[in-house]
Amino acid sequence: MKQRGCSDTSACAMSQSENNEMEPQLSWYLALSAVLFTIGVTGVIIKRNIIAMFMCIELMLNSVNLTFVAFSSFFQDVTGQLFVFIVMTVAAAEAAVGLGIIIAIFRNRESLDVDEASILKL
Amino acid sequence: MLALLFLLFAALAVGCALAMVAQRNPLYSAISLIGVFVSLACLYIMLAAPFIAAVQVIVYEGAIMPGVVFVIMLLNVEVEERRTGRLKFLVPAAVVLAFVLFAEVAFILASMQEFYVTPASASANVGVTHSIGTALFTQYLLPFEITSILLLMAIVGAMTLARRGGLLSPNARVIPGAQQLPLSIVDASVGIEDTRAVETDTTDEAARLLGYERLRDESERE
Repeated sequence: MKQRGCSDTSACAMSQSENNEMEPQLSWYLALSAVLFTIGVTGVIIKRNIIAMFMCIELMLNSVNLTFVAFSSFFQDVTGQLFVFIVMTVAAAEAAVGLGIIIAIFRNRESLDVDEASILKL
Repeated sequence: MLALLFLLFAALAVGCALAMVAQRNPLYSAISLIGVFVSLACLYIMLAAPFIAAVQVIVYEGAIMPGVVFVIMLLNVEVEERRTGRLKFLVPAAVVLAFVLFAEVAFILASMQEFYVTPASASANVGVTHSIGTALFTQYLLPFEITSILLLMAIVGAMTLARRGGLLSPNARVIPGAQQLPLSIVDASVGIEDTRAVETDTTDEAARLLGYERLRDESERE
């Protein structure tokens, strides 16, 4: 990291750590994002209702969004927030198609249990 | 002060996410997910990204989650029943692997070199709508256009999927055609007190049994 106005890096880190004692660090946001992503993965694995699995995928997308926004804000670069914008668009498209698939599956099987749809044909 | 706010919203997000996974009723899961989205929007505001926070609230809470809730209520989803005795031997393995994962994370956190990045100040114009719009329509115009094509494909795909009978071939099991007919309808020589049933799988089969096929052939011949 390039520190502004500091010749000695360690002293600069010390002073900054004193300044930022009560401010959330970048690693906090990354840790929260990792926790949310892990919860989402766990949900996709252990859930059997296809709508619940769909919502867990949304949770994973949002945790990645949090990572993007945190990096974008801490490094003062707008690119990460543009990626968040595009990720949200993809999530909306995924929601439209995914809910259509869910309705089609329910119309054919009258059940939303993924174990009953495991062979992908009637 | 900011740290306290971060801890509050982070705890809200993690708690709502855990509640979403733990719930067996999909509607309660959806409401918990809305809680996660709201707390994430608050975290975006803390990160000096008000535009993304607004879009998060509008798109997720305003567009996606109502769709999910509509589908849940439309399909009359049953509560997920508890199933036991299946893959029970994997539970100790899961616990051991979870501890390995936590140990790895703790090791990484312990051995990580602390580095500090200057957080965005309130005067920085990174997250405001102006800078995002400028970058979106100049430097990143191609991803924007590709996104619009993706949305068009999503519209067409959703309409194709949701159209009734759009995916069914004539040989598939059609719910309105699959029926049980009393034998007296098919064969007039059987009395009405005969309760035996004739099963048909498709509408064509039922028409053939009922004699409409013969009538249709005759009308075509004329």
